[in-house]
Amino acid sequence: MASDAALQRGEDLEEIEADTGRAGRILEVSEGAEWNAVERVMLERRSIRRYKRRQVAPHLVRRMLEMGRYAPSQGNCQPWKFVVVRDADLIAGMEKFCVAECRKLSFDLDYTRYVRGSVKRFVIRAKARLFNRLQPRMLHPVPVTVMSTIADGRFAVFHRAPTVILLLMDKRGVGTPEIDIGICGTNIVLAAQSLGLGTCWVGFSKLLNQSREWCARLGVEPPFEITEAITVGYPIGEPTRLIARDTHEIVWFEGGTKDIRY
Amino acid sequence: MALLSKRERRHFPEWDDPTECVFRRVAIDLDACDGCRLCTLVCPANVLEIYKVDGKKKARVKDSQRGCISCNNCRAICDTGAIAATESNDFVGYYRQLGRGPFEPPRKF
Repeated sequence: MASDAALQRGEDLEEIEADTGRAGRILEVSEGAEWNAVERVMLERRSIRRYKRRQVAPHLVRRMLEMGRYAPSQGNCQPWKFVVVRDADLIAGMEKFCVAECRKLSFDLDYTRYVRGSVKRFVIRAKARLFNRLQPRMLHPVPVTVMSTIADGRFAVFHRAPTVILLLMDKRGVGTPEIDIGICGTNIVLAAQSLGLGTCWVGFSKLLNQSREWCARLGVEPPFEITEAITVGYPIGEPTRLIARDTHEIVWFEGGTKDIRY
Repeated sequence: MALLSKRERRHFPEWDDPTECVFRRVAIDLDACDGCRLCTLVCPANVLEIYKVDGKKKARVKDSQRGCISCNNCRAICDTGAIAATESNDFVGYYRQLGRGPFEPPRKF
């Protein structure tokens, strides 16, 4: 590339830039400035699990997916494919399947269902422990709680949303395509928020991969697999007030010192 | 020193032991709560319910249920600002929260 060649010759890129007379301008943002529109969208986004019945206009879904299309990806491999489901019957069928799978998993792994001291609890707990050793993140206490809530019909997988977008990943993607799917979905979710729509990520949608029948119905074939789903609809209420959250440790190297900030 | 000891790395919390799986509870200002029910609708862990005190509807955390993940969706939807989670959830062993500072609203730098 031309710029690499210039660097190798020891030339100063900024000088060359100035010489062109077309130097890019630097946007000055003052300290403590008000949040801009994009930042505000990020701060106001919540995971929305209760939707109005009104269907989202098709052009809005297209607008969101267009933003997903422009997401960055490793080696620009764009390892995604979208399946948009807007038929209530189909979504209800997907829901039913995922609930049934959660029921199976929950009764197989959630030992808290069984009485303390019982043989059943002991056996299930041992099984859960073993599974935990192999897949510790899958059996984090939070998803386990959610899984059992779904199994008991107290929580919907697809939140009865009018539109569900399945994010399919091309398993042949460069490096770690899962990350690219996450970035792509973030674009979609933030675009939706800016259009007044609510969204929620649904990781349990991965369960659909286990069913040949559902894969066939949804047109999911190798090398593609369902990695995440995003439910879309108009939120109930106005969940736009800003909330408090954890702060996270930031290790900051500057001026020859190491500093911890939050 | 390692962030997690060997013992912690091996230890998985008992999901139904409240000392091992600390799901936080939300704080509700009963004077400000007008019992509109929106928080009970949006709670992803389904831990909120409406009850009556002195003939007035108010929100509270269900007794039998744990699972609040401190998402604060209830705070985001509450018009009166009566409800909020003020701490993050925490677990022991392998799942212990690490490198977290205090709960803070969005800050301008």
